[in-house]
Amino acid sequence: MPKSQFIDPFEIRKSGKIKFKDIDVNQYSKSIEEEKSNFTNDQFMTIFKDMAVIREFESMLNAIKTTGQYNGIEYNHPGPAHLSIGQEASSVGQAYLLDEKDYIFGSHRSHGEILAKGLSAIVKLDDKALMDIMESYFDGKILRVVEANRRNDCVKELAVSFLIYGTLAEIFARETGFHRGLGGSMHAFFTPFGIYPNNAIVGGSADIATGAALFKKVNLKEGIVIANIGDASLGCGPVWEAMAFASMDQFNKLWEGAYKGGLPIIFNFFNNQYGMGGQTNGETMGYEYLARFGAGVNPDQMHSERIDGFNPLAVIDAIKRKKQILLDKKGPVLLDTITYRFSGHSPSDASAYRSKEEIEAWMKQDSLLTYRQQLIEAKVASDSEFEKILNMAKEIITETMKLAIDTEKSPRMNLVTNPKAIEDLMFSNEKIEKMSDAKPSIILKKEDNPRVKQIAKKERSGYKDGKLVSKNKVFQFRDAVFEAINDKFYIDPTLIAYGEENRHWGGAFAVYRGLTESLPYNRIFNSPISEAAIVGTAVGYGLSGGRAVVELMYCDFLGRAGDEVFNQLPKWQAMSAGVLKMPVVIRVSVGSKYGAQHSQDWTSLVAHVPGLKVVFPVTPYDAKGLMNNALMGTDPVIFFESQRLYDVGELFQEDGVPTEYYEVEMGDPDIKKQGSDITILTVGATLYKALEAAKTLESKYGVSAEIIDARSIVPFNYEKVIESVKKTGRILLASDACERGSHLKDMAQTISELAFDYLDAPPVVIGARNWITPAHEYEDSFFPQPSWFIDAIHQKILPLKGHVSTMNYTDNEQLRQNKLGV
Amino acid sequence: MATVVIMPRQGNSVESCIVAKWHKQVGDSVKEGDLLFTYETDKATFDEEATINGTLLVTFFEEGDDVPVLENMCVIGESGEDISSFASQKEDDISKKTIVQESEVKEQVVETTSETKADTTKISPRAKNKANKANVDISYATPSGPKGRIIERDIDILIKEGIKVTPAASETYEQGSSYEATGIGGRISTIDLERGPISELTDNKGDVISEYEEVKTTNIRKMIAKAMHNSLATMAQLTLNTSFDATAILEYRKMIKANGEALGLSNITINDLVVYAVSRTLASHRTLNAHNMEDYMKLFNTVHMGVAIDTDRGLMVPTIFNCDLKSLDNISIETKALAAKCKEGTISPDLLTGGTFTVTNLGALGIESFTPVVNPPQTAILGICGLETKVKVVNEDIKAYQSMGLSLTIDHRAVDGAPGAKFLKDLCANLENFAVLLAK
Repeated sequence: MPKSQFIDPFEIRKSGKIKFKDIDVNQYSKSIEEEKSNFTNDQFMTIFKDMAVIREFESMLNAIKTTGQYNGIEYNHPGPAHLSIGQEASSVGQAYLLDEKDYIFGSHRSHGEILAKGLSAIVKLDDKALMDIMESYFDGKILRVVEANRRNDCVKELAVSFLIYGTLAEIFARETGFHRGLGGSMHAFFTPFGIYPNNAIVGGSADIATGAALFKKVNLKEGIVIANIGDASLGCGPVWEAMAFASMDQFNKLWEGAYKGGLPIIFNFFNNQYGMGGQTNGETMGYEYLARFGAGVNPDQMHSERIDGFNPLAVIDAIKRKKQILLDKKGPVLLDTITYRFSGHSPSDASAYRSKEEIEAWMKQDSLLTYRQQLIEAKVASDSEFEKILNMAKEIITETMKLAIDTEKSPRMNLVTNPKAIEDLMFSNEKIEKMSDAKPSIILKKEDNPRVKQIAKKERSGYKDGKLVSKNKVFQFRDAVFEAINDKFYIDPTLIAYGEENRHWGGAFAVYRGLTESLPYNRIFNSPISEAAIVGTAVGYGLSGGRAVVELMYCDFLGRAGDEVFNQLPKWQAMSAGVLKMPVVIRVSVGSKYGAQHSQDWTSLVAHVPGLKVVFPVTPYDAKGLMNNALMGTDPVIFFESQRLYDVGELFQEDGVPTEYYEVEMGDPDIKKQGSDITILTVGATLYKALEAAKTLESKYGVSAEIIDARSIVPFNYEKVIESVKKTGRILLASDACERGSHLKDMAQTISELAFDYLDAPPVVIGARNWITPAHEYEDSFFPQPSWFIDAIHQKILPLKGHVSTMNYTDNEQLRQNKLGV
Repeated sequence: MATVVIMPRQGNSVESCIVAKWHKQVGDSVKEGDLLFTYETDKATFDEEATINGTLLVTFFEEGDDVPVLENMCVIGESGEDISSFASQKEDDISKKTIVQESEVKEQVVETTSETKADTTKISPRAKNKANKANVDISYATPSGPKGRIIERDIDILIKEGIKVTPAASETYEQGSSYEATGIGGRISTIDLERGPISELTDNKGDVISEYEEVKTTNIRKMIAKAMHNSLATMAQLTLNTSFDATAILEYRKMIKANGEALGLSNITINDLVVYAVSRTLASHRTLNAHNMEDYMKLFNTVHMGVAIDTDRGLMVPTIFNCDLKSLDNISIETKALAAKCKEGTISPDLLTGGTFTVTNLGALGIESFTPVVNPPQTAILGICGLETKVKVVNEDIKAYQSMGLSLTIDHRAVDGAPGAKFLKDLCANLENFAVLLAK
């Protein structure tokens, strides 16, 4: 809410009408003769050739899936194959004008786009660049297979073989695939040619591609981005969120200089009329024309247009015009590219939902027939030349298939001899100080920043002369998070921060107060309330080569970004076999006082998903150290903060929080208090409750508690905890997460296994009740209290003489609650 | 003012001592320095002297009683002083404690009544491990954990006050029966089991053979008897005899004798040289530097050398800890110090345990070979024999030399003959090339 923009009630309340411009529908009508001024005969034929290669590639997969052989060669491919037979003209037309600096993101049905974009990039790259790419990719491992087994007369031919082979080997899960077979059919891609991740989640590419466009914009990179998604994806919330994000007014109204203007992105809907068996036009959606949707998004109506994807020249014409719009910084663009898939959703789809007549009617207009006929009629080439091309396509696909199914030449990853092959790819675990050497775009010198000046006057330790320093004078938790991020903004030019209120207000919890003064809009900005797009764009920004720290305010909003957090952020490093990195930090906070939808600790949900790092610091020292570590790393980190602790000072590090840079290693728990009789392991703000409980245990019952703050959840080094348990023989685990399914249960189980013989009682977990979080006034009955610790210890671990419990931790109660699911 | 005398604690591992003899009776006047009573641990005998003048007003234990350390033994003061406050609290303590624990359990059980009496004993893994290690009978433990579970603190109480069984006896020991506990640290041993439960034992008492002078067997003698018998009864012992050319060590000893004083070295004996060589040779024969625990072997990383010392009280085996890390001079000094303490009877019981291998020496008495008895759970013991003049053929000449015999007994259950023989071979080589060994 920038003050520079006045919201005038007179203007807002004025009567009037919204006027829409006409949206073009299939307006392209040029003949081949007319296009001869734009294309040479060779270019006309290249378009056909690319379409023919794709058709043969997809037909080969179709034959394998449905008949177990292709061209007489038997093969069983158990994995997916969502084919785009019928859609060739649309993908070849789209790719025709694009080069490797233009990025496309796709869907589960993107084999055709990969080949089309790759073939187009090969035409545009010179021989040296092509050789460099192929030689350096996995140290030339894929290139060696192709060179040794296919005769190629020139580098470009070699590159074509390389492209088809790398894609097919990937589909067949071979180690020689573009991503060692870890992506597979639905996630194949090849970034050196500008082919970015294809996505098995419908619409999944919309926000990721938007993030890539944001990367190009913020880092002033050349090229445009296209999100290739299907007509059915318009039913997905994150697609809408992506379009909302991409069309934010601020790009034109608040961003300045070179950064001003719209995002360079086309939301291209390959409208093949169906989503699974659901017919989008007439059954599952109500738009009549998909292109209509652009009109609802912004005054430019997203330059929306329906184009004929059965005519490659119509698509080329559209891309030419739309690309110019993006270069003029007037994006985003929406394209409704009409097409039709002759095959089903997948080979198992018997097409029961559509008539034979319908399929035949579209097949009669098959672009491979009609475009060929037009070229013959326009005397571009004779019929026999097309036959030659089709034979050539058959030859290259047959040869490539033979090579890709040859287990000697195209081996699978051996997880028996190399059991850590996938494990090693889950995290990149790199330390990269800055993702680019460019000069960071900054408004104020660090030392001139008002917040930095204010922090300089604060006490960096929570105690001074043995007394607690007042909240106003102490270096708080929020200052620690600020300091780490602020410092990084001056080092890494790619670092950006955004979320639901990050700028003027300083974030809902004032962590970012002061950043507005130092940083332009292109580095810190407010996003729409679109959690999916916030995380999804960060994924796209990260995998494009930037570093992002985004904020979701409340942890409870993670659900809104479910797919992005669970399927996108954690998966791409390993699915790319380490080609992509994901230096993205998601800040979420655990609330209180705000009831059921604003007070949950969901560390357990993210801890369950492989590929995410999860930390939850609760002291200023740990917060700065872990944030520094997260911002130095290249892995996705879910960074939990507790709203109860934003104002706490550092109570554990005697020397306070260092002003200089330091890191706290992820996975290293910290002993916050030494003890000998029982270990208490906490995650999150419960640490402070545990310390209170420890005081009572010591003074009233003579039980000395050792308190360990987990700090990290994934990764987690148990050694310190096990050592402590060996000493004390007892352990209680506590956090504010609801007890059922809490990650602490997982930890307790692991500790039981690792320290069973040393345990004097089973590890006991206390968490919040399995209820809604009630109003603040009732929170004492919901979140673990110090007395709960003592009750649980008394009843389950070590009966304490004279203790009278208030909480019921008996077996019968546990059974009863579980029976009822509460 | 009346002063209480307690049973001293002799070493950390000692939980209780046996009252061997009262030297004063109630009513006797006592002067500072007078012997009050003699008490024994399983390893040594000690005397307790009075530290004040007065009258022995009361004694709380009789000869033969097993008294927990730090317990009140007697009170010295003026006749007529009130001594009721000093009465030994032991019995009362236990019963009181038991009552307290019962009430504690009852408090907890309010919620879980049905679970206190389970068919199987509930015990935490930690408590179970501790009980196994200390060989205490868990059926004597009073569960104080949740749901009637025995937890660590219950075993701690048991170890302090309860019934303990030796490892050998634990197999046949029937939980719940009462036996006299004469084993190490007041444990019930196999001998105790053989004697039968306490009631039968008292019946057998009183058979006195008057033709003989009755010399009461000291605890140490009983200890030795039990240990020796137990060792031979449970192990498959095999003795290997060999000898080596002692020229090198004799020359080395001569050299030390001549120059040692000047160099500040102690009077290093042949025994010290052999102990040194053994400690260095064991490193590559780990099964001999081991404890045979039947289900597994403890192979030690360092050598804790038991050195058998003959004393008036009987055989004692103090331990030179980390012997392989100590210099020859240190070994010599330490052996002498340990031997002196054993002979005085002031050796700390802590120094009489923990050995991983034992060396015993009958060489001074002219023994040519013998069968040393392995000190369980160790797996081997080396006997050093006397010097003999032997001849050997060197370059077709017959040459006389001093030979020394070595007798190695091994526990054949744990170690075969061949590894034992290899150890002897290496040991002989080291002793015959002592200067080389020193350089290592």
